Amino acid sequence: MKKQHYIYLALGIAATLLFYVLRVQAYEAIYSVPGFSDQFYNAGLYDMIPLITIAVPWAAAAIYYYAINSVRFDRWFHWLLVGGISTLLTPIIGYAVNQSVFADLGLSYGAESLSFELANMVWAAVMFVVASFAMRWWSSNCRHTPIPQ
Amino acid sequence: MKMKQLIALLMPVMVALALASCGSSPLDKAIKHALVQQDTTQAQFDSICAIIRQNPDRYSQYVDKQGQVDVAQLQALIDRIGGDLRPPMRWDIARYGQQELSLTIYFERSGSMVPYDNAGDRGQLKKAVNDIINRFPGRKVNINIVNDGIYPYQGTVDQFIKDRNIYASTAGVGNSAFTDFQQIFGAILKAQDATNVSVVVTDLIYSPADAGDVSIDKILNEENSLATNIFRHYKGKSVLVHQLMGDYNGKYYPYTNRPVEYRGMRPFYLLVIADTPVMDRMAAQSDYAELLHPAAVRHSYRFNQSEAAVDYCVLPDWKDNAGRFRVDHHDATRLTKCQADKTTGILCLTIAARLDGLQKEADFLAQAGNYKVQSASGFELRVAPITPDMVTGNNKMYLDGKTHLLTLTGKFVGPRDQLTISLPNELPAWIGQSSSRDDTNTAASGFSTTTLGLKEFLDGIAAAFGTGGNYTTLTLNLEN
Repeated sequence: MKKQHYIYLALGIAATLLFYVLRVQAYEAIYSVPGFSDQFYNAGLYDMIPLITIAVPWAAAAIYYYAINSVRFDRWFHWLLVGGISTLLTPIIGYAVNQSVFADLGLSYGAESLSFELANMVWAAVMFVVASFAMRWWSSNCRHTPIPQ
Repeated sequence: MKMKQLIALLMPVMVALALASCGSSPLDKAIKHALVQQDTTQAQFDSICAIIRQNPDRYSQYVDKQGQVDVAQLQALIDRIGGDLRPPMRWDIARYGQQELSLTIYFERSGSMVPYDNAGDRGQLKKAVNDIINRFPGRKVNINIVNDGIYPYQGTVDQFIKDRNIYASTAGVGNSAFTDFQQIFGAILKAQDATNVSVVVTDLIYSPADAGDVSIDKILNEENSLATNIFRHYKGKSVLVHQLMGDYNGKYYPYTNRPVEYRGMRPFYLLVIADTPVMDRMAAQSDYAELLHPAAVRHSYRFNQSEAAVDYCVLPDWKDNAGRFRVDHHDATRLTKCQADKTTGILCLTIAARLDGLQKEADFLAQAGNYKVQSASGFELRVAPITPDMVTGNNKMYLDGKTHLLTLTGKFVGPRDQLTISLPNELPAWIGQSSSRDDTNTAASGFSTTTLGLKEFLDGIAAAFGTGGNYTTLTLNLEN
């Protein structure tokens, strides 16, 4: 294995951790609404939602490169399909968690939560790309996907 | 090999998850939950203390040398967690674990007080005193009879409450022909300790001995000087004056000391005296509501009330809001990105504030004219009490515990403005309106609602303590 592959892995991990450290700023840069954002912050959702946004794309990338890992599923659009599913699944889980926490607190921000999760698709997609480029190099069949080495 | 690689690659995700799941302690979580849910009660405080007691090693910094919860350290933690919330929240736990207060009633038994408690009338005076005793949360209650001096009540508290004719059963106690304010207030102030609350039940009519041939001006000037002289030595005390009305049926003693029969309403007063920190402590606790806001109170005023900080926050989303602004996440008094409405040029924002701790009457707090607003943008103020129907799940965090909405409307053009709302502490108009300089004519129109020399006496107290300043000041910094 090449040294640069480890550099890609390290950069991927660093980017992911940086995203988690700067999660509040990262999310408020793409979506911030008076009232909703404060409740989101106080309810600890700026801790939970980024974790989901990290976990789902990293798991999806891991499944694609190491569980599926098939020559019949190694084209760029196969990777895009998995990325699309991950990018859709992340806000769906996030919305369910968000609504559950808000319901426990007696809050009702359905429309705002939905808009937030739509915006969160941006970060979910970014995380999938980051995870893919961090881990693809050791896949026996899909390491050339989406871009050949 | 593949499996190992997979696990290695998923490590960052697992580490992040682990970091998040153990990021804050159960104590931090419990405090944050209490603040977010606005569940800042004694029960919640007790449950937080229980967390500390269950794990004293882990939370050793919150346990003092005696093994008790260190309230000061816990307060610091609560302040830190509350300061990180949006808007920043406060929970004053200093009152928990404080020493119990005692209550001492000084029940005036001068000749002019007896007609307040006739068997055939409604007995508002006795009811007001009974209510204070019954609703006082402490267990230590003493009762004294006062006129020319202070005399301990010979019965028990239960007997006092049950007594249907308190003036008959205390007949012969002291000299009811005159009331010596200097002796009474001097003795009360001198004897009072840091955990005592004294309540003087009186008609506040100064009736010194040998005043028959003295002019009313001289008597009232003497009363004024006397009040100042008594209280000026006790600048650490606060005096809360409640005016109530009661049925009066019997001999009234004007300053000329020639009694006349009178039947009708008359004002009487409850003077609550305590150290200023004790008065502030009671104001912060609903347990003392009857003492600080008696149900039948007509007017109130607290002397020696220092300026207090009140909880307030700007409502980020409210029906009256116009234009745009953003509440700074780290400083709830700073509004950034302020922009007036494009069509009207108006910026309108609403503040939710908790004003009940100021011990002012509801009418006083609800009148915008009692507030002073300063800003370069000419903001105007509207005030409305918060009613239960205004509170929804989404705004509960902002409105819970708050009592009034202060809506400010102005033509903000920027780039910056400082908006200051203050509630000036001035002697209220009711004092002058409830005072008379001649009480010889009981048929006069204002007789039933006025007290001889009330203004002079209370002006004397005000001179002793000094007046002015504000009850509270709220400041917002606006910028675009």
